[in-house]
Amino acid sequence: MSRLTKLLGCVGALLFSGLAVAYADPSTKIALVPGGPHPYFASWAQAGADAKKDFNLGAADYKVPEQWQLADQNNLLESLVTQGYNGFLLFPGDPVGSVSTVQELTDSGAPVIALAGCLKDPSTASFCFGTDVYRSAYLGTQHLIAGMAGTKKRILHVTGFLVDPNTQLRINAVNQAAKEGGATVAETIADIDAPGPAEEKINAYLAAHANDIDGIISTAWVPSVVSANALRRIGTKRIKMVAIDHDKAVLQGVKDGYLLGTMLQNPYGQGYIGSYAIDKLRNGCKVNASAPWTKNALTARFIDSGTVFAGPEQVDNYLQSMQAITKTIFASFAKTYLICSK
Amino acid sequence: MQFLSRYGRTDWFGPLLVTILAAIIVGSLSPSFLSAFNIQVLLLAVAINALVAYSQMIIIAIGEMNLSVGAIGGLAAISFAGMMQVWHMPILPAALLGILIGLLGGIINGVIISLTGISAFVITLASLSIYKGINLGITEAQPFYGIPNLVKHLGNAPFLGPLPWLIIPTAIVGFGLWLMLTRLPIGRCILAVGGNRHAAELSGISIRLTVIVAHALSGAIAALAGILLCARLQIGQPTIGDDWLILSFAAPVIGGAVLTGGHVSVGATTLGVVIVAIITEALVLFNIDPFLVQVVLGVLILWAVGINRLREFRLKPLRRA
Repeated sequence: MSRLTKLLGCVGALLFSGLAVAYADPSTKIALVPGGPHPYFASWAQAGADAKKDFNLGAADYKVPEQWQLADQNNLLESLVTQGYNGFLLFPGDPVGSVSTVQELTDSGAPVIALAGCLKDPSTASFCFGTDVYRSAYLGTQHLIAGMAGTKKRILHVTGFLVDPNTQLRINAVNQAAKEGGATVAETIADIDAPGPAEEKINAYLAAHANDIDGIISTAWVPSVVSANALRRIGTKRIKMVAIDHDKAVLQGVKDGYLLGTMLQNPYGQGYIGSYAIDKLRNGCKVNASAPWTKNALTARFIDSGTVFAGPEQVDNYLQSMQAITKTIFASFAKTYLICSK
Repeated sequence: MQFLSRYGRTDWFGPLLVTILAAIIVGSLSPSFLSAFNIQVLLLAVAINALVAYSQMIIIAIGEMNLSVGAIGGLAAISFAGMMQVWHMPILPAALLGILIGLLGGIINGVIISLTGISAFVITLASLSIYKGINLGITEAQPFYGIPNLVKHLGNAPFLGPLPWLIIPTAIVGFGLWLMLTRLPIGRCILAVGGNRHAAELSGISIRLTVIVAHALSGAIAALAGILLCARLQIGQPTIGDDWLILSFAAPVIGGAVLTGGHVSVGATTLGVVIVAIITEALVLFNIDPFLVQVVLGVLILWAVGINRLREFRLKPLRRA
């Protein structure tokens, strides 16, 4: 486990230990299941461990499918049900394809929250809790356009798996922000949230077209790392870049001036508050239908887990920024989104 | 005609024609394709992908397939990075241990296949899961970042013009495989077992030993590919190797390998890797819609294979003459 995640976890645990609530149920066994192996979800492990301790849960375990395949995830979920897990925080392997699997889980009495990515309505998931990816990509592009002042504002957009329900939202957001900001999206390179393809395609593009772009917006983890490394290798600060997430290579790139900044997400908060919500749902609380839900392209029941831009001045203190957001969401979460009899 | 007859019979001639044709087309439409930096980027991709293809090629040579190539490469990569980060091991011992892990993974595959007689497809499908599971168990899906600067430098810098350091181990392995398959007894045994297992057995070749050696070689080469990719990426990513399977088959097949075994070509497989790399780059350079990239890639690979097969078809009368 990375030192960063441990630090995040420890601080998070300290921050929220005082907020642990009554009615926790040691029989609650929660599985936090991502779509596949990916560093973005790493904080879920610590979030689950902290939630287990703070809310007196039976378990809140991070369980990773072997590959980024819907079938692998479905097999894992079925296996977890037989192992006695009775609540699920799930990044859907497919926004539509996962709906039937979620139905099976909820039919067995296990509440499900779509975490970090949403299911397409209608589904039996209680709600979707994740980054407002459209807003994150939109704001990131706006920061990039502001940083490209005085140039032709030609943007390369590098993004993640096409099967990821969030990718199309990100593409739309970048295109919209570019259109509004008088910029041009020269090219969108997608399906490169894996090391090999990202290296090959981003470097090939920069080798041929580095002079044809003024900025790079990355809306996925691996392309952010690869692009940050590529700009450092080329040694150029002419091409401005806004990345996403908190990989060390990205944070160092921001500090060294190769990147304008990065759009931070809140995976720890997703796992921690999500575990809390599942336990509440298992213990008599209902979802508040009249809560101030946000709508997105997939669902009408969405809660934003927070996003924030970190430039060179903020990059050292980004943990505090995300903790502040998590604390704010947690403080009013049950009151706002749940109806509990006790 | 004599020229065509002489070179047309070689496996590498068709892929070479396709490579030249593809380079001319892409280069004329996008002049920056032939820039020194782009050639370096292309060679970096070829250096690693060629090892991935060799790893599968050696198994195709014995008429089997290895689905665990990527899982072994990924396990070796994270082991290499992890040993340097966690145990502060020097680079060379970490790399050697990484390759040893790959070798061991391959030997386990080979021994189980030989002893049980179960299809390599089934055994390597199972070992894929095991090796990937060990990878995830060690890393918890988080990368290792403690890559020494020297490794990062070797993984990305050129040593002469656009020639990257990574091309050197690949060239050595490629030459070694060519030498083995064309000059050494074990190489001839591998091809004989792939060509006709029963005949090979009757002529005194140990099928078990040959299968184990082929899988051991495959594992070691896959591990080397993982280590080089780790150096190139500058991090030990747990997902290294996840996307190797299609490429590992595509390049040998483009290079004219017979999937039932007995016939492979190191040179043609290398050219197959170059063709896939050029096609992949072309899709980026020509701004193909991301949702259509896979379709176009598949069509272009079919085109490359088709040209090679057309060449073989046209040469049949010449060969008969």
